[in-house]
Amino acid sequence: MTQKGETNRYDLHSRRRRFLGLDKDQALKGLFGGNALVSIIVLALITFFLFKEGVGFFGQYRQDIELHRRSGIEYVEIMKEQSAAFTDLNRYLNSIRGEHATLLQEQGMAFKDARAELKVYEEFIYAFEDLGYPVSEYALEMAEVAIGARDMYEESANLREHRENLLALGRDEEAADVEVLDVDLSLFVGMLKEGEADFLALNDALAAGLLSHIEKLPVIGIDSLDAKMQRFAELSRMFVGELEGYESRLAEWDPDLPVNMVSAFGSFLFGKNWVTNSSIQDWYGILPLFTGSLLVATIAMFFAIPLGVGAAIYVNQVAKPAEQNFIKPYIEFISAIPSVVIGFFGIAVFGQFVREVSGWTILSGFDIFPISERLTAFTAGCLLALMAIPTIFTLAEDAINNVPKSFKEASLAMGATRLQTTLRIIVPTSLSGIISAVLLGFGRVVGETMVVLLCAGNRIEIPNFTNGIGTFFEPVHTMTGIIAQELGEVVNGSIHYRALFMVGMVLFLISLLINYLAQKIVLKYQISRG
Amino acid sequence: MTLLTDTLKDSAISPKATTSMSSETSDPSRPLIRVSDFDFFYGEKQALFDINMEMLENEVTAFIGPSGCGKSTLLRCINRMNDLVDVARIGRGKIEVNDADIYDPRVDTIELRKRVGMVFQKSNPFPKSIYENVIYGLRIQGINKKSVLDEAVERCLKGAALWDEVKDRLDTSGLSLSGGQQQRLCIARALAVEPDILLMDEPCSALDPVATAKVEELIHSLKDQYTIVIVTHNMQQAARVSDKTAFFYLGKLIEMAKTDEIFMSPKNEQTEAYISGRFG
Repeated sequence: MTQKGETNRYDLHSRRRRFLGLDKDQALKGLFGGNALVSIIVLALITFFLFKEGVGFFGQYRQDIELHRRSGIEYVEIMKEQSAAFTDLNRYLNSIRGEHATLLQEQGMAFKDARAELKVYEEFIYAFEDLGYPVSEYALEMAEVAIGARDMYEESANLREHRENLLALGRDEEAADVEVLDVDLSLFVGMLKEGEADFLALNDALAAGLLSHIEKLPVIGIDSLDAKMQRFAELSRMFVGELEGYESRLAEWDPDLPVNMVSAFGSFLFGKNWVTNSSIQDWYGILPLFTGSLLVATIAMFFAIPLGVGAAIYVNQVAKPAEQNFIKPYIEFISAIPSVVIGFFGIAVFGQFVREVSGWTILSGFDIFPISERLTAFTAGCLLALMAIPTIFTLAEDAINNVPKSFKEASLAMGATRLQTTLRIIVPTSLSGIISAVLLGFGRVVGETMVVLLCAGNRIEIPNFTNGIGTFFEPVHTMTGIIAQELGEVVNGSIHYRALFMVGMVLFLISLLINYLAQKIVLKYQISRG
Repeated sequence: MTLLTDTLKDSAISPKATTSMSSETSDPSRPLIRVSDFDFFYGEKQALFDINMEMLENEVTAFIGPSGCGKSTLLRCINRMNDLVDVARIGRGKIEVNDADIYDPRVDTIELRKRVGMVFQKSNPFPKSIYENVIYGLRIQGINKKSVLDEAVERCLKGAALWDEVKDRLDTSGLSLSGGQQQRLCIARALAVEPDILLMDEPCSALDPVATAKVEELIHSLKDQYTIVIVTHNMQQAARVSDKTAFFYLGKLIEMAKTDEIFMSPKNEQTEAYISGRFG
């Protein structure tokens, strides 16, 4: 002010420089506000886009399932199911022979002699296969009729749409050239239904043949195998008993039963099959992918929680400053490794390593070892654990660090040991923070794509949970993996395309839920500290 | 020299042995804490210079002095809380509690701290119930018998003059109490392990005058059973609660005497200047 002595000290109007009518504060405010606004808008657009692309799925899927019923494919699938049950029986029979062959081989019998020994099976198996032949052949024939009907119907629907498009564009002449066949699905279904009596006759013959066939059960002379033969006979009798069930389902089947939205919804959420590009029928059931994701995430959390939280407690409570300065950046460094590199490591090194280890004699006590697959839920889970550890470690360490020092001092001043202080004061006080760290780690694992795509084995099937620990060593596919794998190849706007978007929606909702829970818990934590 | 742990074990057999013994011997001037030629460093910086003092059993000793004069440092040396500071080290001298050198390498700080309790400047109840807060010290010693714990809670809360205010809500959080109540809860918690000495680091600095009066009253009543060392910035408080007062300045013990004497007729000029409010 001294230099400007002559200006009026009490001229209090703003003297700040202006740009576009804004002074510096306002401009900065505008800049940051704008940034926030842009991110919110972009997020909103992404959500909207997901919804828009996904939401048409259920309508299309419902139509698809309805067509599946009205064209009679559903009807034929009942027959196919029966054939599949018969094939299972056949497989069981063959496995008995296979076991016998292995046994002979182990005894050191020459190939030629072994073949002679196994002769006893030959006729029995061939005759057995012949028994099932007429029925499965018939089912195949019917399937061709139904699929043909479905394809013609779709073709005509496409043509009709094409014609209407042309008409709408005013190209009437071209439209007239488009020939649209009216396909009456009920005609085809009528054909199928007419043949039902034939099918029943074939079934009766099959039942009678099977029952008389198992009377001629070959006697092998090895107790364990004979017991299996008896079991086979029992299974065959059960199969004959079940035939009636298939027949009554065929009789009750009604092509005009409406398919409502709820069943489309249920078929997506609880469907056990994810089948695409099938010549018979596509199914979009998310269950195999969901369970796969869950299984992988469970394995990952099993390793990541103790390691991440344990490391956080160690670094914050026990480690010397020198150790802290080494461990913290080191663990956080893991998150800098690109996931594709971790996935590559899984394929090239870790998968093989797990398989080798499973062959060690120490583990031979478990009958699931050694495992045959290299890429399994376990392989992917272990690598994902590696990726979740930095998240869990960093957030848990923060939570522990937020426990007021005065709690620790008070506890130590009471004569508590370091361990008692940690377990009774530090961990309980920071527990909600640790839980939310674990939840966010879980979210990271569920959303991770590259590693599971490369290392989980990508078999679309619900893991067999009756397998005990063997469940963890099955190849699985995941929700994230299927999107990455299939989205590049689908026709834009097709039902498959929309199905993938719906999978994305489910993922989005899961992440949202996890983050919401984590925030809730942290909030509760802040209140509890007063 | 008797080892502290041995002494502690003797007293642990019958908790009241020390107090009853002192009354039997009826030697009121027995020094329970003795600091001799004590130098203390934080890294390269010397925080305490050649401290020599004695604190007598069943007396209240107040440490006064301007900020940074080392009074809190000395207090935290008496139960070895300074061990938590990585760079802290002793240059010279020793501190004895009940004639045992507490910096002897064979001394277990856990045992020491059970005998020398501490109340902090900012009340710091654990985020647990009032009940669990009081018995924390017993729980960590593995005492889980309900009758013992119930008895301890009542005894300690009564001892800390808090029982009547909280007896109906023992299972509510310790953090739900008011500031003054929280501080008294911390004192009750410190009493639960039956210490002989209570160290108080500015226990009233965060409290309003009413709560302060209550805590001071409490200190008065605790004097019969405990030896108390209190650090305070408030000279009226020192005058009200203490028997002896020690004045620290720049890491040195300037003067220590009976509280009446030091406030009425300080021998040292610096002491007089500080007490009369001319500096600090």
